[in-house]
Amino acid sequence: MQETLDTIVDDAAKDGNAVTSRAQFETFKAGLMGPRGSFTQQRKQMGRIPREERPAFGKKLNEIKNRLERILTETLEKIEKLESASRLGLSIDPTLPSPEEQPGSLHLLTQVREELCAIFRQIGFVVAEGPEVETEFFCFDALNTPPDHPARDLQDTYYLPEKIHFANIPQREEERYVLRSHTSTVQIRTMLDKPPPLRIISPGRCFRRDTPDATHSANFHQIEGLFVDKNVTVKDLKADLDYCFQSLMGKEARTRFRPHFFPYTEPSFEVDFYSGHLAKVGAEWTEIMGCGIVDPSVFEAVGYDPEVWTGYAFGLGIERIAMILYGVDDIRYFYQNDLRFLQQFS
Amino acid sequence: MKVSQQWLKRYIDLDRSRDEIEKALTLIGFEVEGVEETGLPLLERVVVGEVLTSEPHPNADRLTVCNVSVSDEEEPGTIVCGAKNYKVGDRVPVALAGAVLPGNFKIKKSKLRGVVSDGMMCSARELQLGDDHQGLLILADRPSIGTPINDVFPERDTVFDIEVTPNRPDCLSHVGVARELAARFGLSLEYPQVKSRPLDSTPNRLPALLEKVEVEVPDKCPHYRAYCIRGVQIGPSPQWMQRLLKAAGLRPINNVVDATNFVLLELGQPLHAFDAAKIRGGKLIIRQARQGEEIVTLDDRRRILTPPSTVIADAERSLVIAGVMGSIDAEVDEGTTDLVLEAAYFRPSNIRWTSRRLNLVSDSSYRFSRGVDAKGTEYAALRAIDIIQEIAGGRLEGPPFVVGEPPLVEREIEIGPRFICSRLGFDVDNSSINEVFDALGLYARKQERADGSIYWTVGIPSYRLDLERPIDLVEEILRIYGTDKIPTARVVVPGLLQKDDPVDVCKRKSAEYLSGRHFNECINYSMRSAEEVDQWYSHAAASSLQLANPLASDQSHLRPSLVPGLLDSLRFNRNRGNAPLRLFETGNVWRERDGRLWELFSVAFLMVQESASSQWIERQSPDFFQVAGVVRNLLRLADADADETPFAPIESEDSWQEGHAAAISDYTLGFQAKAGMINLAMLKKWDLEGTVWAGLVYLRPAFLRNPVSRQGFRSISQYPPVSKDLALVVNEDILAEQVKVALRKAAQDASTGAFDVESISVFDVYRGKGLPEGKKSLAFKLVFRSMDRTLTDIEVNRAFEAIQRSIVAEGYTLRE
Repeated sequence: MQETLDTIVDDAAKDGNAVTSRAQFETFKAGLMGPRGSFTQQRKQMGRIPREERPAFGKKLNEIKNRLERILTETLEKIEKLESASRLGLSIDPTLPSPEEQPGSLHLLTQVREELCAIFRQIGFVVAEGPEVETEFFCFDALNTPPDHPARDLQDTYYLPEKIHFANIPQREEERYVLRSHTSTVQIRTMLDKPPPLRIISPGRCFRRDTPDATHSANFHQIEGLFVDKNVTVKDLKADLDYCFQSLMGKEARTRFRPHFFPYTEPSFEVDFYSGHLAKVGAEWTEIMGCGIVDPSVFEAVGYDPEVWTGYAFGLGIERIAMILYGVDDIRYFYQNDLRFLQQFS
Repeated sequence: MKVSQQWLKRYIDLDRSRDEIEKALTLIGFEVEGVEETGLPLLERVVVGEVLTSEPHPNADRLTVCNVSVSDEEEPGTIVCGAKNYKVGDRVPVALAGAVLPGNFKIKKSKLRGVVSDGMMCSARELQLGDDHQGLLILADRPSIGTPINDVFPERDTVFDIEVTPNRPDCLSHVGVARELAARFGLSLEYPQVKSRPLDSTPNRLPALLEKVEVEVPDKCPHYRAYCIRGVQIGPSPQWMQRLLKAAGLRPINNVVDATNFVLLELGQPLHAFDAAKIRGGKLIIRQARQGEEIVTLDDRRRILTPPSTVIADAERSLVIAGVMGSIDAEVDEGTTDLVLEAAYFRPSNIRWTSRRLNLVSDSSYRFSRGVDAKGTEYAALRAIDIIQEIAGGRLEGPPFVVGEPPLVEREIEIGPRFICSRLGFDVDNSSINEVFDALGLYARKQERADGSIYWTVGIPSYRLDLERPIDLVEEILRIYGTDKIPTARVVVPGLLQKDDPVDVCKRKSAEYLSGRHFNECINYSMRSAEEVDQWYSHAAASSLQLANPLASDQSHLRPSLVPGLLDSLRFNRNRGNAPLRLFETGNVWRERDGRLWELFSVAFLMVQESASSQWIERQSPDFFQVAGVVRNLLRLADADADETPFAPIESEDSWQEGHAAAISDYTLGFQAKAGMINLAMLKKWDLEGTVWAGLVYLRPAFLRNPVSRQGFRSISQYPPVSKDLALVVNEDILAEQVKVALRKAAQDASTGAFDVESISVFDVYRGKGLPEGKKSLAFKLVFRSMDRTLTDIEVNRAFEAIQRSIVAEGYTLRE
């Protein structure tokens, strides 16, 4: 009897090895534990053996049952392993390229614009926007540009035909539309729209009637800044621009103010920077931007009281900054959109 | 403007290095665009010599031994020489023992390979006369032997090419620039003294050179002076003057013309000398040019004039385009003996207009256009007369003809230290302020108010047209005091209640979203060609998007869409062997609708299928639904509420492939989106193979700027959903959305109010076996859910059956 039970276990261990599918397993299990299974048959013997042997037999049965169940569990685990192996297939070659490998990218000009905007946001500026098609009033008159100033020349500024009207670009009177030659227009629109104080930057596309070459482009991008409050001074302007260039180029960056002339600021300056670590241009003072204290006549044109409010304004070219920061030596790269250029900076 | 250091030295003791002067000019607002060194430094013991003989050096192949004569009296010396470019008889510069050449190069008598050399024959570079070091500097003019070399070459000069900003016409002159440098360096400025006293000159018995001067246009010529000079002798001007004129970039002509040019560059006042004999009818008339009037200007070009240009005419013809250029008819030439000298003040705007119309900028028009010193005419005229008499002889005759008065330009500005500090942000002490005023020749008087505070009354000289308001003086103070003294300060940021413009926010979010989805951002020009706008958009719109003055024919129109630029980028890349798959751009476009033009913010992108061989496993190729999904996300980023708005097919738009493109909304309402396949015929025009998918949104800035209200919380059901599937057989041309709308209505009709259909969505589209030709099956999933309990099968089944009955009643067929 005992031998029979042990034989069942030995056979089960052997048969279990041959089981490779769930169907086989079910048959295998039924052959042991099912109503006609070999183990079930043995258990039915309990009634036939002498009473005094029953406890020992019961004990033996239990032991055998546990051993059989362990075999069944192991067999099932083996089958599950086989099943998931066939579901997963071969192991991967992790060195194969991902088909999604082509990286997306922000254009270098967008990156530089955002870097500059982030720098100025940190000192309380917000971004203001305005139309690219502008009118002579916003582009010139309000910025104190005399009627026969060369900047208004057909040679320099793109004009739209007379009698054209844009539904969502308001004119002052019947003045002509132009493609804005700077983003100071946004400052004028903002000042006409909102009372002081203000602290805005206006990044955006500008247009000049230039024949493209390595440093000129008929489309280009600027960031102009305007801060209007009580007691805004030259010292503030210098402090804020120093902060900007040190953020952009490192702590060793220095700026220098050279007196200059712009119709909309007084005093006006051109700003040179110096930064030793920029190998190409850092060794000497390099002209980078224009700035100044807002001319009182500009405030008068937008209805701000120049006795009460003062302000500073500045403007810089995004292409120029990008060229300096990244060593790009031809402005035309920015508008070619060669994928190798676009992805270089991703 | 070109400024000569030698010339400046006539007015200030400018004993400074080139670098010091360059820096000073730069820091007071005159950017130095170039510096040129001319002439010869002062060199002792360098003289003209002649090569008498030349023999090979006995001990060195490359050297020769020359006998050189450096004096008529002394014996020739021996000089060992390495150059090859001379021949016997040439005259060359010779540095004798004891000479010190530039670079502290001391010349000594020395032995060279055994032969004693008494000195050195020099190349151009050794004398700092140029870069030529190929051989000796051969003196082709053969100056006399022994002449000191400084007598042969002009003296050393440094010429600074400076940018003079338009507000500073007073610095278009050497005296003006000298005044600025004097202020910067703390030097005293000596103005040229004039000797001529026109009123003292005695009348004579000869017939007058000029009888009358009439000004017909006093608004354009408020002040005119004419001086008569008799008996000049025309010839070349002296060397010193020719040198200075050349240094400043002018070509010497003759002594009289050079004298007027000299004064122009010295004082900034343009003058004009007429040959008195060529003035017909004895009078000068300053009048408006006649329509079509012709004149041949001194540059030998025929010019056709129109009003309102001003001319100086005699009784018969015009002789000068006023303030711009003279004609050859009254030119001073070798035969001239008597002169009429004009010194006038012309209004800038009129000269500017004429100069621009004729596209003719002269030294004279450049200065008049920007504004000359209205009070400076007499001084300049007398200065020129002094010089003419000195270098060309002649005698001033009679009092000048003077018409009109110089306009009143002097003014006084009051300014106090508090104002100055309020604009600068730091204190400048009063004595420094005083010094600046004095140095610039501003007549400042210190005053005291009743409260004891001080201020200055500053008289502005007539040549400083730029100083009108106190703020203008603040600039002067800072300029001369020094911008390098602006103190370093910390950033002070007052908090202001303001936000980024939503257009910028949308631009930024879109770019970040797309670049995160493997798109590469491009930037293209806003201007496109007429042909493209015509074909891509519409012929009618093309005419309204045209620029008035395009520079290039392929950039003549404003872009109505970003897509053509992206197609250009795609083609450009493919031609270069790059294979972009996803490109995008953000930017403004201009579109026309019913005769109205709109500027819109747009985001657009392209997706193309990669070539089959480029990847080791296949990737999903782009289709309408991917593009539409990206477009919907862009709308969400713009807070455009369009999740429930279906795409509608785009019909008859040339740029999109009909049946494979669709749009949402209309930009005149705020926003619009399009997605689909680029028209295949259009792609052919771009020479692009395969298919190209594109998506875009147009956004009106005003729409983006509409304040978005904060979305309130809506409670969500805590109970499980029950879903039911339903398939309907419809005609092939029926849109899923149409059916969905019908189902939603049926669901509403069937609703008992106890619970709702939470969502209806298409999950399968089937065509083919089991369905008739021209029919398709659309399978929908309907999800039921209650807010307050778990739904029972019975009530859901009841509702579902009601919906089925209702949809069948609408004419739909259930698929069995």
